Amino acid sequence: MAKLSLMFEKKLVKEVPIGNRPVSIGRSPDNDIPIDNLAISNYHARVYYEGGRLVVEDLDSLNGTFVNDLRVERATLHDGDSIWIGKHHIKVDATADAAIPWDTGRKAVAPKINETMVLDTKARRDMLSQAAAMGERSQFSPGRAKMPTLVVLSGKVNQKEYVLTNKLTVIGKSPMATVRLRGWFKPPMAAQINQRDDGYYLGPGDKVPTVNGTPIPGPTRLNDGDLIEVCGVRLNFIFRE
Amino acid sequence: MQIASDGLTDVGRVRTNNEDSFRILESLHLFVISDGMGGEAHGEVASSLAVETIVNYCTEAKDDSGITLSEAPGDHWAEKTKRLQRAVHLANSRIYESAQKNLEQRGMGATLTATWFDNGRLSIAHVGDSRAYLLRGGTLQQLTNDHSLVAEQVRRGIITPQEAEASEMQSVLLRALGAHSEVEVDVDEVGIYPRDVLLLCSDGLTRMVTEPEIAGSLQAETNPTSAARKLIELANERGGIDNVTVIVARFQEEPRRWLSWLRRGSA
Repeated sequence: MAKLSLMFEKKLVKEVPIGNRPVSIGRSPDNDIPIDNLAISNYHARVYYEGGRLVVEDLDSLNGTFVNDLRVERATLHDGDSIWIGKHHIKVDATADAAIPWDTGRKAVAPKINETMVLDTKARRDMLSQAAAMGERSQFSPGRAKMPTLVVLSGKVNQKEYVLTNKLTVIGKSPMATVRLRGWFKPPMAAQINQRDDGYYLGPGDKVPTVNGTPIPGPTRLNDGDLIEVCGVRLNFIFRE
Repeated sequence: MQIASDGLTDVGRVRTNNEDSFRILESLHLFVISDGMGGEAHGEVASSLAVETIVNYCTEAKDDSGITLSEAPGDHWAEKTKRLQRAVHLANSRIYESAQKNLEQRGMGATLTATWFDNGRLSIAHVGDSRAYLLRGGTLQQLTNDHSLVAEQVRRGIITPQEAEASEMQSVLLRALGAHSEVEVDVDEVGIYPRDVLLLCSDGLTRMVTEPEIAGSLQAETNPTSAARKLIELANERGGIDNVTVIVARFQEEPRRWLSWLRRGSA
């Protein structure tokens, strides 16, 4: 649970946990955080949860409510923020709080995030487009999508070419295989092609395939134009526009 | 196909509570894992609600009435895959509604990775950053895409996998159960071959242990229980900053009938 710590001249005066009810701050003694000082309005501000965010709201106070250095009417709070009211300072401790969405609107330094949290749709869009502005270098970027394709050069299989659409592509005699080998004594799973975040990898199955004439030592990243040979079948791996 | 499976969970070395949940239904060949989030004990509430909902829906529901879907399951998927997808949507609604009703549960959520093996095929439904892997012929292949900010940035070519591993934003998810009234669920199907090994795990494993190490452990320990134990030990040795949960399932060909007949004949 998040909490507020009232500080005065660097000393801790009071700690208040934030539950379901708003925490009120003001000069009047019936506030959750009463501050006996003339610079502070009777009902100065309050802090509460709204849609998973911790929010501070100024209640039309005479001298204002500040978050860090900014005077606010309303603001989303994050762990480590300071609320200033008069000469009093209220520290926000939300470390135990998993779910405050990251507010990209504020010019704050990104906090170190230890707890898992979910971005809301807008924040997600903002962050991704921000990141996209930093430059793309992906072969998967939309617009210039290239389809990884196996073109059959020779050998007995069930199609002339295969567009690789799955994470796992099997070359073998099994009825579940994408590239179905025909003929006697062919293994059910001769080799496999796996899609990873950074490309397509050819891996051994019951047989060790060759790439450009060399047997692969393990999963091997395929490049445009590579020649694959396994069980008497020759395949050309290409990215097709 | 014969399946040997086991699962283990551990609180890790840093945290005091375990927010992960998992279930194995051996009779159905259903495997479910979930990693909860939210303050206090709410992460646990979310993940166990997720797992329970999936298991109940897959075992009990007679029909699919009463579930409205934001996305209709595609017709090309197998029946089990569609059912699993509906179950995940239902779990999302349950967690979301519970959090709406109970103020102190605000912000709770969960990841969910569920696999269901039937008739040679593995159905997969997935939301979040728990993972399903398949070890086949010595190659470890991730079957799920992480719904995390850094994984999305890697897929778009904005950052490298190495930058992602060092990022402070690793815990930021783009999708989770319970965050919104509706959720987009990834589904997939893969054919299963004899000697395949399936691994489901929470990010407490994959943040601590590299994929080559995971592949090595799964190959070295042929017993699912010892493999699961080995993986959890590794995660804890590296610091165990989070809860760790693993499910290991090993697929084997049925013993051939004529062999057993021969044995019986010779006895």
